[in-house]
Amino acid sequence: MKELFPLKQVNGYIFSLLLTVVALSVYFFDMSFAMGLTILVVTAFIQAGVQLVVFMHAGESEDKGGIYVHTIYGVVLALLTILGSLLAMIWGYMF
Amino acid sequence: MKLDSKNLPLEYSTETNRMNILGFWIFLSAEIMLFATLFTSYFVYVDRGVGSGPAGAEIFELPPVLIETFLLLTSSFTIGLAVHAMRINRVKAMIGFMVVTLLLGAGFLSVEVYEFIHYYHIGATLQTSGFTATLLTTLGTHGAHVTLGLFWGIMIIIQILRNGLNARTANKSFIFSLYWHFLDVMWIFIFSFIYLKGMM
Repeated sequence: MKELFPLKQVNGYIFSLLLTVVALSVYFFDMSFAMGLTILVVTAFIQAGVQLVVFMHAGESEDKGGIYVHTIYGVVLALLTILGSLLAMIWGYMF
Repeated sequence: MKLDSKNLPLEYSTETNRMNILGFWIFLSAEIMLFATLFTSYFVYVDRGVGSGPAGAEIFELPPVLIETFLLLTSSFTIGLAVHAMRINRVKAMIGFMVVTLLLGAGFLSVEVYEFIHYYHIGATLQTSGFTATLLTTLGTHGAHVTLGLFWGIMIIIQILRNGLNARTANKSFIFSLYWHFLDVMWIFIFSFIYLKGMM
């Protein structure tokens, strides 16, 4: 039975539950918007990293380089699209 | 952790297998962009597109969202265990973990359906405002992915039961596990930046 529950994955699961609890603190405690958003950004990206490395085994095969480059490329494009649109349409900018 | 190149697991055993896995990672990058465009429209509309309809803080409820998060996180863990069981050649345990994963996924979907019915009853439909339209499209796209995953998972279980574990079925199972983990990652972003940010 024990060999079916590798320590690494069990730890990854417990860690992601903990991160969820930390993220929940923005709901239960009164804090500034900037503070709350910082907590959410940090916990969400660590969570994603845990999934990628512990559960999806991103770095195990010889295609490791291609996998990381492509995933990071996707994430960078996603951030550029989201933040760029917000900059152009919501936040505004001054010359 | 690196794979032992002399003794590769079944799902990497042929060149096609390896390429399938790399190709699926590339597909997942495209999926990241799909969700990025949905998040973009959501963030643009969340505060400015409310109109006369309800705002996020008025319609979001914590308990169903927490249940959904817990179910999906756990299912992501169990599909990881299924891949581990596959690698140590424990087919029965692997199928057991896959069944548990799909049950948790079905549980997630039922809570999401409840949530959508709730939104409908309080007048937050696809046509209400820019905010509700982008909210329901983003949640719905994720839910549609989970639904597809359920059918995909069932097909793979049937194939393993019929053909046993071989290079093909192991490869399909591994790719399915990548897909399922990816859905969990997307849910974490929905949970953080749609629900928690909206209720903050």
